[in-house]
Amino acid sequence: METHEIENTWKNIDPAINLKSPEELNQLLASKTRQTVNKFLGLLAIDIVVGLGLISFLVITAINRLGDNFFLANNALLCLATLSALAVSVTSWYKLNNDKFNLPVRDWLEQKIKLLSGWLLGRYSKGYFIIIPVLLVMIEVSIHVYFENKPFTEVMKNEESVIGLIVGFIVALAVSYYAVGKIRKYQLKNLEFLKELFEGLGENGKV
Amino acid sequence: MISLKEEFLDILSRYQGIAHKVNLIYFRNSSDREDNFQDIIYQLWKSFPTLRNRDSIGSWIYAVAINTSISRLRKKPGIEYMEDLPDSPDASDIVEKTARDENTKLLLQAIYRLNEIDKSIMLLYLDELSYDDIAGITGISKSNVGVRINRAKELLKQNLKYLNHGNS
Repeated sequence: METHEIENTWKNIDPAINLKSPEELNQLLASKTRQTVNKFLGLLAIDIVVGLGLISFLVITAINRLGDNFFLANNALLCLATLSALAVSVTSWYKLNNDKFNLPVRDWLEQKIKLLSGWLLGRYSKGYFIIIPVLLVMIEVSIHVYFENKPFTEVMKNEESVIGLIVGFIVALAVSYYAVGKIRKYQLKNLEFLKELFEGLGENGKV
Repeated sequence: MISLKEEFLDILSRYQGIAHKVNLIYFRNSSDREDNFQDIIYQLWKSFPTLRNRDSIGSWIYAVAINTSISRLRKKPGIEYMEDLPDSPDASDIVEKTARDENTKLLLQAIYRLNEIDKSIMLLYLDELSYDDIAGITGISKSNVGVRINRAKELLKQNLKYLNHGNS
């Protein structure tokens, strides 16, 4: 097929398009807006239920152990971490869903690459290697100490308790690292895809 | 006085063909196209208040439609790698309609074999946009647009040749 034939053939596409009426377009827009809002509210609801559930547990158990300073400090730090995680997850979702699609393709790709690179390869991108084990230990200790019904220091001196905590910690850490690794791998693949497209739009035009 | 939404829907109903064509070159499956069309409308609506230049509505729709499609492809890698056009049970579906003409079917298959960037460059070229507009939509320099179009055209011709060989 020669260039003019290609151009003429392409003209067959226009008449084949099923144009939608303004009412149909309005319905599609309304339904998509609803879906997006519901998705956001759903995520927010899960975040709040899980976050508030954990915070309630921490507060109630702390009230029952007002004299145990180590236990109280542990729960207070966990409360702070939970609140921070809540804030981070909501703002991340907002950032991800509010990028500017009306930019030129190259600029849009650049903006998306910067955002993802910051998360996946930035200075604090490996922070989860430290944050996850620290939080796991704190959560495990809080739950275990509370249900043992003994003071914090006494539980920590008990060999059986410590072995149980270590085993539980190793299992939970392995599961957490596996899950985070999977998510990171998927996101890194996304990042590579965007980078390839971006390079494809470079001035030297890698094809 | 018409509301912002009425103005948007009026513009969209006049220019929606662009979104359908971007959809067509990126997604072969009709349900993916439907979903992506809805995403495009939503992204257009979100960015509509920032659209200052009403003379460049076409370019704005192309850019949003291409970016939205790439975003969907990114989230669903491997979504579109069939060699042939899929069968669609819906006779009014654009692929079903265009597939009735052998040349159009072949052209679409050849476009599907291009990479995502060349697909959009080819679409803009075939829709007869000026080099200025293509540069504005894609973000590549005006001087590079011609080079990119020629390269994409060559690849398209190679694909057509290959497909013709396969069919003969």
